Amino acid sequence: MESQQLLEKIRALPLSGTVRIMNVCGGHERSISMAGLRTALPSTIELIPGPGCPVCICPEEDIYQAIQIGLNEEVVVLAFGDMLRVPVNAPKQAIRTLEQAKAAGADIRPIASPTEAVIIARSNPEKTIVFFVAGFETTCAPVAAMLEEGIPKNLLLLMSGRLTWPAVALLLSSDTPTFDALIAPGHVATIMGTEEWRFVVDHYAMPTAVAGFTSNSLLAAIYSVLRQGLEHHQFLDNCYTQVVTPSGNQRAKQLLNAAFDIIDAPWRGIGIIPQSGFELKEKFSSHNARLRFPSYADEARKKAGMMPPGCDCAKVILGQIKPTDCRLYGELCVPRNPVGPCMVSDEGACRIWWASGIKNSHSAH
Amino acid sequence: MCLAVPMQITKIEGHTAHCASHGIEREVSLFLLDDETINVGDHLLIHVGYAIQKITEEEALSTWELLDQMLAEDAESAL
Repeated sequence: MESQQLLEKIRALPLSGTVRIMNVCGGHERSISMAGLRTALPSTIELIPGPGCPVCICPEEDIYQAIQIGLNEEVVVLAFGDMLRVPVNAPKQAIRTLEQAKAAGADIRPIASPTEAVIIARSNPEKTIVFFVAGFETTCAPVAAMLEEGIPKNLLLLMSGRLTWPAVALLLSSDTPTFDALIAPGHVATIMGTEEWRFVVDHYAMPTAVAGFTSNSLLAAIYSVLRQGLEHHQFLDNCYTQVVTPSGNQRAKQLLNAAFDIIDAPWRGIGIIPQSGFELKEKFSSHNARLRFPSYADEARKKAGMMPPGCDCAKVILGQIKPTDCRLYGELCVPRNPVGPCMVSDEGACRIWWASGIKNSHSAH
Repeated sequence: MCLAVPMQITKIEGHTAHCASHGIEREVSLFLLDDETINVGDHLLIHVGYAIQKITEEEALSTWELLDQMLAEDAESAL
C-alpha cells in the first residue's frame, strides 16, 4: 500500500484520544522527520523518539577513558566518526572531546568499519591500536565478525556496545510508561530477528510493529499499531518482511555469542541497565583495552557519567521531552556548537530535528 | 550509523565482495552471510563495511531513494 493510501486509512481511524507511539531508532526518527510525518498525521498521534542513538548513550566515562588513553599512552585511538565530537564533562579549558585530544597531539582517527581497524593495526605493527567501539547490535555483529576472522596482537578494543531492547524494557517497567505503542528498529531486527521484541507484546500487551525506513514501511507500522490498539488485539507485526525475519541473521547472532559476554552496563544520563552491554569474552582478554590500561577515572571529576550540565539529552533519549522542550535547543546548543550528544550524532533526536528545519523551540511541529 | 546502505556486487573473492552503488566502489565483508548463496549482481544491505542481509533490487532502489533524500537534506542543513 502506498503512503498516501496509508495516510488516508490512518486519518479514517476512530481514534478517541492521543496515542503515543515510540520509535526506538535514530534511523526511524530521521525518516519520520524528513518525510514530515508528524505534520501529515492527525495531531492525536504523537511520535516519540526513543533511546536508539548509540552515540548519545555511550557512557561519558568511556569517552573520558578513551581521551585519556589517547593523551597519555603511546597508542592510536580509532572510533566511528560521530564519537570524536561528543563532549565529556570537563571544565571549558580542559580537553573535552576526542577531536580536541587529536588537536592537542594525540593520534586519534575516525574510521568507518572494523576492517579499517585491522588494516591500520597490520600496517603499524610497532604501534598499539585501540578501537573504541560504540554501537548497537547492528554494529557489534561486524565487530564480532572481525574478532572471529582474527585480529593482530596490537589491536585492542575498548568495548562500549549496547543491546537495544533492554532500554525499551526499562521504559516499559516504569509505573507510568510514556508511550502506548512501539515501532521496533529495522536494522537491529535484521540482525537479531523480530522475536526479540515479543516481550513487548507478551509481557506488556503493547501494540508493536517492526518497521523499515521508507515512509511506506513506517506508515504501515503506525497503521498496524493503531489498529492493534483499537481492536485490543496486540501482536508482533513485521512491516519490513523484505529484510527482517523472526529469527534474524543466525550467523551474526552466533558470532555475537562467540565474541561477547552480555553485562550490566551504564547508559549515559540513565544509569546501569541490566544485561545491556557487550563486553569481550575472556578469550579476548589480551585485546581488551580495559584490562591493558589503568583506569583514568578521576574521583574529583564533577558529573562523571552524566550528560553535560544544563543538558536535557537524558530526558530526550527516554522520550520524556521533545528536543524543543530542552531550553538549550537551538540557542546554546546547535550542531556547530553542541552541548550534548543528541545534537552531535546524526542519530540524535535533536540533531535530526534541527536538520529537518526546526531551528528553535517555537517552530516545533 | 544505524542505517545500512544497499550496494550491488560486482565481484566476489572468498569472503569479500567488491560492491558498487551510485559511482562509489567498496570492498565489503560477506562474513555475516556465510550460509547463503551470494552471486555477482546480487544486492546487499551493508553496515560499517559488512553485508548484513541479501535484498532484492526493488528493496535496494527504494532504500536508495530514501538515502538520496537524506543526503540532500544533510547537504542543505550544513549550509
